[in-house]
Amino acid sequence: MKLTLAAAFCTVALPAFAVTPAEVVETYADIAAAKYEDSLITAKALQAAVNAFVASPTDTTQQAAKDAWFAARVPYQQTEVYRFGNPIVDDWEGRVNAWPLDEGLMDYVDASYGGPTEENLLATLNVVSSPTFTLSGTDIDATVITPALIRDTLHEADGIESNVASGYHAIEFMLWGQDLNGTGPGAGARPASDYATGDACTNSNCDRRAAYLVAATDLLVADLEEMAANWAVGGPARAAVTTDPAAGLNAMLTGMGSLSYGELAGQRMRLGLLLNDPEEEHDCFSDNTHNSHFYDGLGVQNAYLGSYTRIDGTVVSGASLSDLVAAADPAVDAQLTAALAATMDALAALKAKADSGAMAYDQMLAPGNAEGEALIMGGVNGLIAQTASIERAMSVLGLTAAFEGSDSLDNQNAVFQ
Amino acid sequence: MRAMILAGLLLATPALADVPTAVTDHILPGYANFTETAAGLAMMAETTCAPDQLRPAWNAAFDAWLGIAHIRLGPVEDEGRALAIAFWPDPKGMGAKQQAAMIAGMDPMGLDPVAFRQASVAVRGLMAMERLLYPEAPLTGDYPCALMATTAADLAQTARDVQAGWEGGFADAVLTAGADGNTRFLSEVEARQALFTQLITGIEFVKESRIARPLGTFDAPRPDRAEAKASGRAGRNIVLSLTALRDYAAALDPDAVTTLAAFDRAIASAAALPDPTLAGITDPAAWLKLEILGQQVQAAQDAAVTEIGDALGVGVGFNAADGD
Repeated sequence: MKLTLAAAFCTVALPAFAVTPAEVVETYADIAAAKYEDSLITAKALQAAVNAFVASPTDTTQQAAKDAWFAARVPYQQTEVYRFGNPIVDDWEGRVNAWPLDEGLMDYVDASYGGPTEENLLATLNVVSSPTFTLSGTDIDATVITPALIRDTLHEADGIESNVASGYHAIEFMLWGQDLNGTGPGAGARPASDYATGDACTNSNCDRRAAYLVAATDLLVADLEEMAANWAVGGPARAAVTTDPAAGLNAMLTGMGSLSYGELAGQRMRLGLLLNDPEEEHDCFSDNTHNSHFYDGLGVQNAYLGSYTRIDGTVVSGASLSDLVAAADPAVDAQLTAALAATMDALAALKAKADSGAMAYDQMLAPGNAEGEALIMGGVNGLIAQTASIERAMSVLGLTAAFEGSDSLDNQNAVFQ
Repeated sequence: MRAMILAGLLLATPALADVPTAVTDHILPGYANFTETAAGLAMMAETTCAPDQLRPAWNAAFDAWLGIAHIRLGPVEDEGRALAIAFWPDPKGMGAKQQAAMIAGMDPMGLDPVAFRQASVAVRGLMAMERLLYPEAPLTGDYPCALMATTAADLAQTARDVQAGWEGGFADAVLTAGADGNTRFLSEVEARQALFTQLITGIEFVKESRIARPLGTFDAPRPDRAEAKASGRAGRNIVLSLTALRDYAAALDPDAVTTLAAFDRAIASAAALPDPTLAGITDPAAWLKLEILGQQVQAAQDAAVTEIGDALGVGVGFNAADGD
């Protein structure tokens, strides 16, 4: 009741604040442009490293490609806060960060992976070893593996979301291979010789495997170019939030809350713990999940505080959502700011443990690993707590989240037509 | 100007009877009923593991769960209890895989209800029990029998924990929203929004998981994805969950005539589905009937979002369906 009155008052009074909604969404768009540009820059570095690796596949060049992939994840994960509030991002996101995946679609897998499932008849298609195959009754010519083949034919083949053929996780699988260590130590251990020429080639079809890796990386660069342009001055994603600042504020807070609660705390963190399933980790081939979660959380925080530190160390900042909320209700701003900081402390503790080499994220998921569970649940609880504060911030600004629902709700034609 | 806005708000301020009614007439009795039926199943599982004797008690517990399964707030979310009660959908088949491994290895965790609480949610709860009661091939030996008793005892304990959580504090937190010292709900609006969100996401789950998943497309229906396929409960689950959601909607806003009428249409269609297992949706006529039901559930959701949302003066809050 009190909050309803306050919200109405604030809506009327907004123009009198020190910062305006228009300024806040401008900062939000500027930070998006910087994050996607950083993602593009690091993806191009990955592309160069991948090309060097396939040209001369050694442990050294493979490690350089892996390091480039790690670096590329840092800015990209910080963009995920843009996803749920901005349809232009959400519609595109599945091309670059789809997860979880049935990696047997792309390349060879261990026998323990199993065969095609009721859910996915293509779970072991293995396109690297199949120059031609039949897909939903259509003959497919995959003798040349191109970005277009991956994008238009393989990705989400048969309408199955776990048929992931493109994006960071596809590239991750092609670089690391399956992590067969369960909840024990160790990441994927694909040998560099999977990309060797002639008799040195392991696991056969090395030339096709290299073509796949190169095409998937080229496609990632192209997809990021598209999204960076969307947020540049004059781009449609920027326009969507700046032409109607109230809608822009809604997008900001919706993105923060949906990523925090349903996606990160729920799907990506707690579910894996409840299932004790080492495959329920976001960067499962590379054991990079701790970083993936940390930078997701950081993205939520810097969306609120209106300040992003770029990969070159420069800072993009401006009028922030925090300023706006503080002007409306300092207590709500203080609570949300503190909640975001507490989450980052928890995610930093998780990251530090994994970075130390003492316990990877998948090991934390092992049944009976109380320390690992506490580290993950620390992040989960922080994210849940900050979501309540995000809802309060929306309330204080007089905003209501649009009901996101699921894909088929957004696109009813897909299901109920 | 401000006076006019305040006056408008006062007119729009809803009656506050909604929250207490939903708690005392719907949520608390719903949990009590689930606890009782789950306890009945556990008690019987101590004396027999004959599937035909246990199935009625299991079905009764499942029925009771559907009366309250849409509440994903408070104690049922702690320690992943909602998933430990019913882990579904399970697209990767984790439940079958992990349970088979447990049986093959005669995992001692499956013999001890206390240790079992640490087990993966995919091997716990109603769906795990279904795999034991309606196995593809008859289960033999002492271990599956003991596992049945453990699974039932664990389910009963989880039900008690949820009920105790509500009766031992969470119901008070909801009912005293906005009072001094209530850190969970800082205003009545927050409590109302939280309860309203359960209604909308509960409808969403019926629409997406129980209907759209098996529906697939006209060219490729996916009856294998029906809920509780082994026991053939898919249609019954749709009817009972819609009925429970209607009851909950009426508790939140008894005047929501459009929403309640939309529910009535959907419930009638669900009850008239030609094949309650949904196996028959490979037949085009049956597929279309399920598709129409999906549209009716969508209509109930649309009506609830506007009609009940406006009446309560809230929108949908963040929820588990926000993810992928």
